[in-house]
Amino acid sequence: MIAIYVCAGIAVYAALRVIFQRNTMRKLPFLNVVSFAVTGIIALLLPHPITIAAAAAYFVGSTLESNAIASTWAGGMKKDE
Amino acid sequence: MNEFVLVACTILVLIGTAAAMLERDPFNKLISLSIMISGIFPFIIDRGFLDVAIATALIAPLSTIFILMVCRRMPA
Repeated sequence: MIAIYVCAGIAVYAALRVIFQRNTMRKLPFLNVVSFAVTGIIALLLPHPITIAAAAAYFVGSTLESNAIASTWAGGMKKDE
Repeated sequence: MNEFVLVACTILVLIGTAAAMLERDPFNKLISLSIMISGIFPFIIDRGFLDVAIATALIAPLSTIFILMVCRRMPA
């Protein structure tokens, strides 16, 4: 029972760090921390076998999202030639 | 869901919404929207709608990627 409390505390702390950080590049690692903590909450919340599939889907989706934001902010793919 | 986790997820939704309203930069707005969507997932899971949660987890990043195509930074 203590594990889900730790995950919730980490999620709120990382979200506050994201909000009060002014540099966009420094926001993105804490966005990943929020995603990991929410994945932990989802996996621990409901004792059902499909819950782990939902947690895995959320993990993949949120990591893809934050990496897409980081890649676009850094300039995207360079057009050579 | 007990009270501590409920309050934590509510805080995530509220500060994500407030930051999405107050930010000026489009990338910071997208980051705040991502925090808001993170906050609603434990509420969907808590009711037992696991298929809805899986579909939402796969569709929400696609919408973010479509918005990112619009707000790409211009080369300096």
